[in-house]
Amino acid sequence: MIREQKRRSALWFFLSSILLWSCGGQQERRPEEAADVLSMPWEAIEQQARGSTVNLMMWQGDPLINAYMEQYVKPAVKERFGINLRIAGGQGSIIVQALLAELQAGRPNSELDLMWINGETFYQLRQIGALFGPWTDKLPNARYIDFENPFIGQDFQQPADGFECPWGNVQMAIIYDSLKAPAPPQDRAELLAFVRRHPGCFTFDNHFTGLTFLKILLMDIAGGPQVLAGPFDEEKYRRYAPLLWDYIRELKPYLWKQGNAFPEAVAPMHQMFANGELWFTMSNNDSEVDNKVLQGLFPESARAYVWEVGTIQNSHYMGIARNAANKAAAMVVANFLISPEAQHRKQDPAVWGDGTVLSMEKLPPEWQEKFRKLPGRRHAPPREQMQARALPELAPEYMIRLAADFRKEILGQ
Amino acid sequence: MFIALAVLPLLLGLGYAMAYSLGLVGLLSEGFTLAHWEEVLGSAFFWRTMAFSAWVSVVTTVLAVGVALGFVAAWPRVFLRGSLSLFIYFPLAIPAIVMAFIVFQMLSAGGLVSRLAYQLGLISGLEQFPGLVNDYWGIGIIAAHFLMAAPFFIIFFANLYENEQVEEFVQLARTLGAGARQAALRVAAPLLLRRAFPTIVLYGLFVMGAYEAPLLLGRQSNQMVSVLAIQKLQRFNLGDIPQAYVACIAYSAIVLSLAVWLLGRNGEERLKYQGSGGRGKKV
Repeated sequence: MIREQKRRSALWFFLSSILLWSCGGQQERRPEEAADVLSMPWEAIEQQARGSTVNLMMWQGDPLINAYMEQYVKPAVKERFGINLRIAGGQGSIIVQALLAELQAGRPNSELDLMWINGETFYQLRQIGALFGPWTDKLPNARYIDFENPFIGQDFQQPADGFECPWGNVQMAIIYDSLKAPAPPQDRAELLAFVRRHPGCFTFDNHFTGLTFLKILLMDIAGGPQVLAGPFDEEKYRRYAPLLWDYIRELKPYLWKQGNAFPEAVAPMHQMFANGELWFTMSNNDSEVDNKVLQGLFPESARAYVWEVGTIQNSHYMGIARNAANKAAAMVVANFLISPEAQHRKQDPAVWGDGTVLSMEKLPPEWQEKFRKLPGRRHAPPREQMQARALPELAPEYMIRLAADFRKEILGQ
Repeated sequence: MFIALAVLPLLLGLGYAMAYSLGLVGLLSEGFTLAHWEEVLGSAFFWRTMAFSAWVSVVTTVLAVGVALGFVAAWPRVFLRGSLSLFIYFPLAIPAIVMAFIVFQMLSAGGLVSRLAYQLGLISGLEQFPGLVNDYWGIGIIAAHFLMAAPFFIIFFANLYENEQVEEFVQLARTLGAGARQAALRVAAPLLLRRAFPTIVLYGLFVMGAYEAPLLLGRQSNQMVSVLAIQKLQRFNLGDIPQAYVACIAYSAIVLSLAVWLLGRNGEERLKYQGSGGRGKKV
């Protein structure tokens, strides 16, 4: 009996210790972490980075992007800087949840060092104070970036302020099958007329890309991007959002599934576009249509275009966790990612097709030449042509409100 | 030991969720509040979500149990030996998300069945194919879960049939003049159902909390509860996180109460059955 009690006490002690340790256990910081990486010269940062492991969390939903990271970036940073890059899948809310949980648990060293982020994720990470910075001015290759460009230096109307490093620049494109829709709609009115004639062939997803589409409609309804520019304006939102919902309600009966269901992400939309169920799909990357045709997923007749009122252009970025264990190594990796070499390779449509964040005027002439010689896109308009129809992102609160109100007004939640 | 390893972590998790839902923890919390509970429990959509989850769970379980019972009563030995016994295990090895994709590829308007119907001249265009996925009644979700549940129950009932020596009772009934159908319906099925009841209830609860298949095959206006909770947790407002915890706690409380009530009733009935000289054993 006494032995049994002792065994029980030991078990409880063991379990309690594990719980206490897991809830608030203090971990010893690595010695180099103590040094303020921001006050070090770049050579010292590179030296400190050597031999470190960087945990990068990024969206891994595209085989071409994964191949670029696994087969090019990973070996390159290992060979040149002695950094082991470990890549884990996760985006947006996964990153926010992971860092939120670590901060709530008081964990001193984060599991994440570097994260691929933008827009609402940047806003939310700043909201909870999970980002390290400002650090981007330490990167030697940052001199090639035009931070004055509002499509690069501003992320959803928020200044990056050195807390995230621009990595790529894309513009939303609507993709259509040119055999089925030789003259695709160019604005709201034309879209409504088109879907009335061809019900069920158009929809938008219930995620980031669909919300970008709603933002474009909202800007158009409001009278242009300048009306909603700047910080979130409750009064303007209340004025224009009901008009947007009226329009969507008008559109709804002619959408895929009569607008009673929306694809959860663009991947199922692409799938339905590929098998002919949909005539249209969308992408936040204007080069994706070429990628997907090259992969054999989309038909040769697939084309990307932007409406006459324009589509949103934005950049995506690399952020470093406030409690990252290897900030120096994360900065070295980020610096490599914005090097002319890595950016040039990334912009090749056969590799990824992601727009560069480097300013051609700031690049050395030989790199300007190399960028100019990159093969063009076959299924999307030239980037310069799309730039003329580029709309800026809205403040993140617009997207958060649109997501909530879309559920309420259109989905009846 | 069981309490320490299984119950304690669950209670700690629920405790944390409760604290979060009341605004007591969380980086953005502003102190104690009942607002999140009022918001969720006062929302008609939450209760519609609960009802839809229960609908999918009940229909899936009833269909799978019915079909499995029918197969086992008709061919009790086939699923225990021979090549069919191996084949029946195959669907169990398929993860839910893969099964959801298979159903999507089969039943969507651009899917295999629709194309077959087109080739056979049953429809003249993809748009004429009825909505079997992302539909109002959750047909796609039910189909995906049925394809996973039916083999499970077939294997389960076949083993039960042998271990509980149901065949002897069937033969006895036949000797006493019952027909094959009567013996299957009045003897084999009740015996198997009585023994399997706790497993059926637990499987039903498992389907009710499913996530992958409803995410891909469901629609946003008729959501299942786990999809709603994840949506509140991850899209896009950090201020909605406490509501996700409310949905999880309320759902857990309701299904746990239901499970305890159903299994408790079943236990009482079994005891009564034993007391009246029946052969059943207490579960």
